[in-house]
Amino acid sequence: MSQAQQAAGIRFDHVGVTYANGFVGLDDITLRIDSGEMVAVVGLSGAGKSTLVRTINGLVPISSGQITVGGVGLKDLRGKGLRTVRSEVGMIFQSFNLAKRTTVINNVLMGRLYHTPAWRTLLAAWKRDDVELAMQALERVEIVHKAYANASELSGGQQQRVAIARSLAQRPRVILADEPTASLDPPTSHVVMRDLQRINAELGITVVVNLHFLDLARRYGQRVIGLRGGRLVFDGPGADADAGVFESIYGRSLTAEDMLPGHQQAAV
Amino acid sequence: MTTLPIAVPPAGDAPGTAGRAFGEHGHWPRKPRTWPRTVVIVAVICALTAWSAIAIQVDPATLIRNAHNASNTLVQLFQPDYTFIPDTADALLETVQMAVIGTAVSVALALPISFVASRVTNPSTVVLGIARFIMNVVRSIPDLLYAAVFVTVIGTGAISGVFALVLFDLGIMVKLISEALDGLDRGGQEAALASGATWLKADRIAMLPEVASSYISQTIYVFELNIRASTVIGLVGAGGLGMLIDKVRTFYQYHYLSTIILEVLVIILALELLSSASRKRLLL
Repeated sequence: MSQAQQAAGIRFDHVGVTYANGFVGLDDITLRIDSGEMVAVVGLSGAGKSTLVRTINGLVPISSGQITVGGVGLKDLRGKGLRTVRSEVGMIFQSFNLAKRTTVINNVLMGRLYHTPAWRTLLAAWKRDDVELAMQALERVEIVHKAYANASELSGGQQQRVAIARSLAQRPRVILADEPTASLDPPTSHVVMRDLQRINAELGITVVVNLHFLDLARRYGQRVIGLRGGRLVFDGPGADADAGVFESIYGRSLTAEDMLPGHQQAAV
Repeated sequence: MTTLPIAVPPAGDAPGTAGRAFGEHGHWPRKPRTWPRTVVIVAVICALTAWSAIAIQVDPATLIRNAHNASNTLVQLFQPDYTFIPDTADALLETVQMAVIGTAVSVALALPISFVASRVTNPSTVVLGIARFIMNVVRSIPDLLYAAVFVTVIGTGAISGVFALVLFDLGIMVKLISEALDGLDRGGQEAALASGATWLKADRIAMLPEVASSYISQTIYVFELNIRASTVIGLVGAGGLGMLIDKVRTFYQYHYLSTIILEVLVIILALELLSSASRKRLLL
């Protein structure tokens, strides 16, 4: 883990995403995320924050403009080229996205698939170095003792940490997290966010995380990006995201419901 | 932060005002009228059944007219000749062997084909369409017809029976497993693809473990089917107990026939017990 690759920066140049049904996911986004930054993206459901994160690894193809990740342009990138970019970008999902009926270690080893030949994959004959790497990744999120447990036996928080370990096993230059705490309770949400923060601080990996709760975004994002209707409406330090900014993002004033329970007093 | 705005619904939606539109007796929506449609459907089904019965001349009276004949046969059928059991051993063993080989070959072939024939594991709609079309054709042919064709092409005996079972099972197995794949959670696969894996790798590592338990369960089911089927396909000369059944039936040896029927019953019951026990152990 210590020999992690150089973190990568991300650039959006006039990026637009229009879905097949005509819905505009992103509208002319221009944005620069430096390598090693930790950025929180906030906005209402449908504001485009999930789309934004998913364009960075090509899960959502862009319709116009250009995104570069570590210098590689993503527009119209397909096949091997796209897989190479994806191998350098880890992703964490709202619903954890583990294969539940197999072991934790097998799930973490999924992060090595890009580097594993097809014959080894078919036989599940993992390279010794990859198993070592996967174990180290599990150790970093303090769950290595569960390596041979079935993923389905784990709690939600534990499953999300396995997912973080899986992305670490990629030795990524960027980690994307799409609402990583939306399926978790408040204390567990903080554990997962602290894991991401630690990974950003210790390994220097660029982290882009979507969050529903503004207080989590302000607390963990050095920089907060606000989206509304697919457009960029705020970009600045978390500390600057005050009530006025909130209104510009959410289109109404702040209420207690916008805070993670138990943290109302801490915010705004 | 202090005031939570509570949405006030538009006046038209309030109960009691808009409700007047539905009539005197209240504002609840009225139950839609569906009985005319039900009557039509039941009438069509009855007409179809009656037409079929008339066309193939179903006549319960013939059963009574032939009752004397039938009773002779039935009396013999209810007196199985257990001394015949040793003579059935070879055919019985052959039936089981055919079922084992048929199951092994078909489920091994069915696994990769199922991944090609599932919408969820195969991103190519063209290849998916071709695979599904071929498997629909394979599945539409009944086991007895396969057996008859192979007996004609290869000749009588167990080998024709095994070929027939493999094709018959393949159709069923691919249908069941590809449908199991269609219904699976795709989270692991999405994560694997997002990490730069090819579809082949993502399917192998993220989808195979998820479908494994239904695969084992359906393998046991197909083996059960094969024991049943391999007694029937023998009737057209494809080996196993069926060939013996055909022989004793031709010579009106109903004492022997009932012995064989009892044997099949016992095997199938034993197999069902075995498969339900193994399912429980596998926690399926």
